Amino acid sequence: MNFSEGNRAIVAALLAALLAAGCAGVKQSATPSAPAAAPAATAPPPQAAASPPSSDQAAAKPAAKTAAPEAKAPAKPGVAPPPPSAKAVPAPAAKAAAPPLDLKALETELKETKAIGVMTKLSLKNQVDDLLSQFRAFYQGKLKTTLAELRRPFDLLVLKLLSLLQDSDPTLAAAIAASREAIWGILSDRTRFASLDGG
Amino acid sequence: MNTRASLAALAVAAAVVASAAAADDATVKKDLTAVIALQGLPCGQVTEVRTLGDNDYIASCQDGNRYHVFVNAQGRVVAQKQ
Repeated sequence: MNFSEGNRAIVAALLAALLAAGCAGVKQSATPSAPAAAPAATAPPPQAAASPPSSDQAAAKPAAKTAAPEAKAPAKPGVAPPPPSAKAVPAPAAKAAAPPLDLKALETELKETKAIGVMTKLSLKNQVDDLLSQFRAFYQGKLKTTLAELRRPFDLLVLKLLSLLQDSDPTLAAAIAASREAIWGILSDRTRFASLDGG
Repeated sequence: MNTRASLAALAVAAAVVASAAAADDATVKKDLTAVIALQGLPCGQVTEVRTLGDNDYIASCQDGNRYHVFVNAQGRVVAQKQ
């Protein structure tokens, strides 16, 4: 499999699935428009360590220090411990160098999973959009931050997704956890992000 | 005889409907609990839900907080403390 295209497909599948799932069947409330109460987790990170976005930086290993070795142990880091009786996320048998994903199946599962409700899917989609906007602004030089700082909201978002899925849909949670680094690989590369963002 | 059979069928149907409604209610509570948590707001579990419209709810939380959870005109899910 072409690695780059594979990764791109993974990200596209995940984002498209979240978008589709979030939008499916969602009608806007009759309530008059109001400002979002709490942008919460996806609020822009502190802009202390500003650095200009460059393709060199983008291509640099983004997760050298902050990256977690999640590929081996999905859904473990930072996630609230599952209840004792709950089905635990099965540890991947292989050491998962590259995620061996059936992308079509992953996309379908994300769209159809009953583990996440419609409002939750839409809320996640909002947060995915916010994160993509941050990356877009970063690459356009409008957001003074670093890739290392952008890694935090990315990790947080993945953890939220995993914590929502791990008990009710452990297989899907494991698949997403295994795709985490591949997705980050796309987001942290200006060129690959641009091709994702544009198409 | 026929009357008894009809009553039994009616009772079964009512039980099925009630069970489905309870399942729906639990699903909405779980959904709203996740939404509020995703917004980083305190709640614990949603214990009671009042439906105001499509994707428009008042959620009462275990910790006493109450939120108006709805989808705004921009398509964003909003949880407003009441």
